[in-house]
Amino acid sequence: MDGNEVIISLSHLSKVFSKDHMEVRALDDFSLDVTDGEFVCLLGPSGCGKTTVLRIVAGLERKSGGSVKVKKKEVTAAGSDRGMVFQEFALFPWRTVARNVEFGLEVKGISPEKAHEISSQLIELVGLKGFEDAHPSQLSGGMKQRVAIARALANNPAVLLMDEPFGSLDAQTRNLMQKELLRIWSATRKTVMFVTHSVDEAVFLADRIVVMTARPGKVREVFEVPMARPRDRTSREFIEVRGKVLAELDEEFEKARAKELSPE
Amino acid sequence: MADIYERLHKIMVDNWRAVVLGLISALAFLLIWQAYAGYLHGTWLFHRTKPAGIADFIPYPGAVIAAFFESFVHRDPASQLYMTSHILASLKRVFLGFIIALGLAVPVGLLMGRSMGAAAAGRPIVELFRPIPPLAWIPLFLVMFGLAWGPVGIVFLGIFFPILLNVIFGARSVDVVITDAARTLGARSRDIFIKVVLPFTLPYLMTGIKVGLGIGWMCIVAAEMLGNVGGGVGYYIFAMLPLGRIDLMYAGMLVIGLLSVLTTGVAGVIERWVYRWMGMK
Repeated sequence: MDGNEVIISLSHLSKVFSKDHMEVRALDDFSLDVTDGEFVCLLGPSGCGKTTVLRIVAGLERKSGGSVKVKKKEVTAAGSDRGMVFQEFALFPWRTVARNVEFGLEVKGISPEKAHEISSQLIELVGLKGFEDAHPSQLSGGMKQRVAIARALANNPAVLLMDEPFGSLDAQTRNLMQKELLRIWSATRKTVMFVTHSVDEAVFLADRIVVMTARPGKVREVFEVPMARPRDRTSREFIEVRGKVLAELDEEFEKARAKELSPE
Repeated sequence: MADIYERLHKIMVDNWRAVVLGLISALAFLLIWQAYAGYLHGTWLFHRTKPAGIADFIPYPGAVIAAFFESFVHRDPASQLYMTSHILASLKRVFLGFIIALGLAVPVGLLMGRSMGAAAAGRPIVELFRPIPPLAWIPLFLVMFGLAWGPVGIVFLGIFFPILLNVIFGARSVDVVITDAARTLGARSRDIFIKVVLPFTLPYLMTGIKVGLGIGWMCIVAAEMLGNVGGGVGYYIFAMLPLGRIDLMYAGMLVIGLLSVLTTGVAGVIERWVYRWMGMK
């Protein structure tokens, strides 16, 4: 399944935001290795910096210290080798589904014929065949996120970064999209870094779950989830893992709340 | 042809209530005008007791409509031109002013909308000049740029700021998450500008154009009135007064109103077309 080759390597990563002459330490000494084809979920209380980790890997945010390597190359800027899917979908509303998916290829200078070929394959993969010429405004939330996934995959990136991609979907759609994502993931074998605040989602999806501490975020605990897929949410094993992760997270959540109540 | 008829029919059916209400109010307006003119001219119900005065300036609606058609088939008593010549003269000035305003406001607006430095540098000038009514510049512009280009300059001023402000606002409103997405897809600054900022700003530009055109027509009438600039509907309106052709003066006003409606209507059609092309409602 994977050659254990490290694709994403974060070591001693730190991030300090300065806002209104105040310095906020978002990340502190965050280290994590993600291997080829692995599905890793980052889980933590809100404001713990899990999105910041993802944005730094994507090259959308500068790190303050430490190192971030993707395929052994230090990350300095955003690039098409790291695809990202956002909670807000972030589709181009004036572009059709196909043209959204083809954006990255267009920018890369790939011929329209070739781009079209790739986009129709991906649109089929994400289950949107027949909607190539629809505009995002005509799609439901789940369908929009399918477009965003196909769009990120079009560049054939080494890693797929997903920032609470199903956070704004209703519960049913969310469950369906989780299954769909696993199907797409097993078809493409991408390395996935997935940010969520839902324990259930993390246990359902991940090979490994990284529970982060409250701000400043660092790795608190890493859980291996050796269950076979598709996973049954009602199985004893599932509930057990969920219980363990939840217990860890709850402690951090309490800390985060205590910190919120007493300003630094 | 059948297609156009069908579409018109659909519009009528869809908006029959709006159409009926619009017709009723227009009819009511004409009736009240007719009644008031009748009263003033002493031909309706009671006899006018006041001496001549306001009556000279309020003709019957029928007279204005007749004058409107007359202005197209007879040369006017001031400059011996047909109304079409005046319309063309005004249209030419508005069009030139519009093109220059568009050509300057779009790049400047994009720059000010996307660069903090350009915004900071441009803001004092924009904020200082924007509130000055374009009409205040008319005397100066007619002297500075002459009778041919002076009115064009006034129209330019009237159209420039609405377009500029809308483009700045549009370029500034581009969702950060959309530009972030573009960057993770491999887009460089140039790609983002052309493939994200420009399309995003387009609907805002259309709003600016619609607002600007309305102001442009106000400006051209005023500019043409203040100097014998060689025809134009504004000149026409102003020239009919001393000749006592109040009916023709109203006809000129009607022409300006219709021209403004027409150009804004064309801009509206283009706007809807742009929206449909962009998949927005």
